[in-house]
Amino acid sequence: MSSIGNLNKHQARTAYLFITPTMLLFFAFTIIPVAMALYLSFTNYDVVSRMDFVKLDNYKRLLKDDLFWTTFKNVAFYSVIFVPLNIILSLLLALLLNFKRFGVKLFRTMNYLPTLTSAVAAATVWIWLLHPEFGLVNNLLGYIGVTGPAWLSQTETAMLSIIMVTLWQAVGSNMVIYIAGLQGVPDYLYESAKLDGANAIQRFRYITWPQLRPTTFLVSTMSIIGALQLFDQAFVLTQGGPGNVTKTPVYLIYQQGFNQLQMGYASAQAFVLALAILIFSFINMRVTKSEEPVV
Amino acid sequence: MKKWVSVLAMSAVLLGTAAGCGNGDSGGDAAAGNSAGQSGSKGSGEPVELTFWGDWGGEGQKQFETMVDAFNKSQDKIKVKYVLQQDMITKFLTASTSGGAPDILFWDRWRTSLYAPKNVLAPVDDFLAKDGLNKDDFYGEALKELSYNGKLYGLPLTVDARALFYNKKILDEAGVKPPTTWDELEQAAIKTTKWNGSKLEVAGFSLGDNGLFNMYLQQAGGQMLTEDGKKTNFNNDKGKSVLEFWDRLLNKDKVYKVGFEQGLGEGTDAFVTGKLAMQYTGPWMLSTYKKYGKDLDFGIVPPPVGPNGDKGSVMGGFGLVIPQGSKHQQEAWEFVKWWTANKDNALLWAKTSLNMPGYKPALEDPFFKDDPFWKPFLETLDMAKIRPAHPGYSVMENDGLIPNLQLFQQNKLSADDALKKSQQRGDQLLADNEAAK
Repeated sequence: MSSIGNLNKHQARTAYLFITPTMLLFFAFTIIPVAMALYLSFTNYDVVSRMDFVKLDNYKRLLKDDLFWTTFKNVAFYSVIFVPLNIILSLLLALLLNFKRFGVKLFRTMNYLPTLTSAVAAATVWIWLLHPEFGLVNNLLGYIGVTGPAWLSQTETAMLSIIMVTLWQAVGSNMVIYIAGLQGVPDYLYESAKLDGANAIQRFRYITWPQLRPTTFLVSTMSIIGALQLFDQAFVLTQGGPGNVTKTPVYLIYQQGFNQLQMGYASAQAFVLALAILIFSFINMRVTKSEEPVV
Repeated sequence: MKKWVSVLAMSAVLLGTAAGCGNGDSGGDAAAGNSAGQSGSKGSGEPVELTFWGDWGGEGQKQFETMVDAFNKSQDKIKVKYVLQQDMITKFLTASTSGGAPDILFWDRWRTSLYAPKNVLAPVDDFLAKDGLNKDDFYGEALKELSYNGKLYGLPLTVDARALFYNKKILDEAGVKPPTTWDELEQAAIKTTKWNGSKLEVAGFSLGDNGLFNMYLQQAGGQMLTEDGKKTNFNNDKGKSVLEFWDRLLNKDKVYKVGFEQGLGEGTDAFVTGKLAMQYTGPWMLSTYKKYGKDLDFGIVPPPVGPNGDKGSVMGGFGLVIPQGSKHQQEAWEFVKWWTANKDNALLWAKTSLNMPGYKPALEDPFFKDDPFWKPFLETLDMAKIRPAHPGYSVMENDGLIPNLQLFQQNKLSADDALKKSQQRGDQLLADNEAAK
């Protein structure tokens, strides 16, 4: 008995030893900065000259800051369209490319390619494609007699353009995750369903979709976090314009902190954003969980 | 026992690596700045080494290095080294707190009002007085932009302002002369604009940059901020006349289309490709446009005057400043003075980089005086005004004013509402971003 106890102790010690480096790094580069940011959000820290405790001033100012709430409305609108479309499109692509046929790997690679390009470089190319007079998109529309809008400069289409570009770039990686998920669904489930006379739609509804629940949870959570943290594409494509319709919280935080040197206020904004991400992830968890797997 | 020893040894090694990672990160930046300080104090025989930070890479870096080399050759007491910092301002902030500040900093002047109150820049008034430099040799507005609370924080390296660039061929074909007033500008724009159905082929005049509101407001006889510099001052007749002018050009005369120039970089620039007849831009575009030689025949005139004959353009440009954290401020000043307050060197810089130096005697040179491209800029600079020196000014413009101007241009807001909203939002942003807060 005592030898087993010793063995356990020994294993536990070794285990702690092995995770020590990671935990130290995690502590130094994640826990401490987060704790400091929380503290800073109650100060008027400006990086160089002062760090006085100002109690809830930053948060009070936040409540009155219309622009901050506008940016939240913007990313909310973005998420409502982006997240479902992202799931639907990447799942459809995954279903399409989940066959073992000749050449299917080539198509998978091609669908994954946009993910590999740098967000900024891709966005720059999209600016040209979406140019109102000389862009490919409007030229194609011109052939069927439609005068395309100034995609990125008009209030009506600016956010939709960003959704389009980010979707184009995001579906590839989610498709790969879904393919992996699809390949984890055991074949015998489909076989027995077929024996029972289930058609393709029923098989998808009652086997594939429930079996993919953990995958969907992962994809949707990552999309929600990514959507709330939208920055580079919006920054390159529209610089937050026109009329602030594409300005995002992260863009505002960056500007407040590094351009205006109001790190305290920026930290407060960042904490509200983190809280929002937490809440939406939680809601998402509940929604995904409510659909219990059949098997 | 043996086991314990090995375990301890192992964890020591691991801890060491982890700590090493942490140190390595923060140590790297400081090293560059500190090395200059240490070598300087070694002895009088060794030259003092200075670090000069800038965020110009590529061509700009070569231009800087030309000047640095020339300075290093001109004497043997001080040796300057240019260090490219892509994210210079952020680096400077961390360096200011950790003691690794450079000795000379390439400085976008409008930042002065935000950074000077934080005591990270060294005032140069005493140096200036001791060396007997004449302030009148510099553009007063540029010095004003480098000042805060009556103290001067550097010397201007370049000056620029926007003037009206026009495509000679397009204007000749339309039979119009370069405009000198708003009315002439409107007429010239109407005559040079070409539509093909719903497609705009040649835009008469660029209305792509709403940030130029300040310039138009001056031409209309207005000012962006009130006399005390604390509140916005454009929600009035003058601001309205600017918006009405824009509205006429954009929606009635249809000389431009929103988004027409967006994303057109060098090479596809609408002015280069003959798709734009006139635009406001600055001397920084000269070297680009000159490259096209005969393919792009263009001229420049000072900005047209407003309805009451008021002139207006916004002066900008760069300066050289000395961080408070520099251990060799005297030597750094020598370098700044050599570059910005000496006719020959300022001229060398001008010819190397094709920038207009902030030192007036250098601009007396035929290189500028007799050049048809530089002359209109000299005239423009005589009346150009800097952006108001308020730490929250750029935020006010970018977040308070421009979004509402964009909504106005797209007929989502009336002129009155756009100005009213800009004022409300702008005043709040100015108050929120004041230095004292």
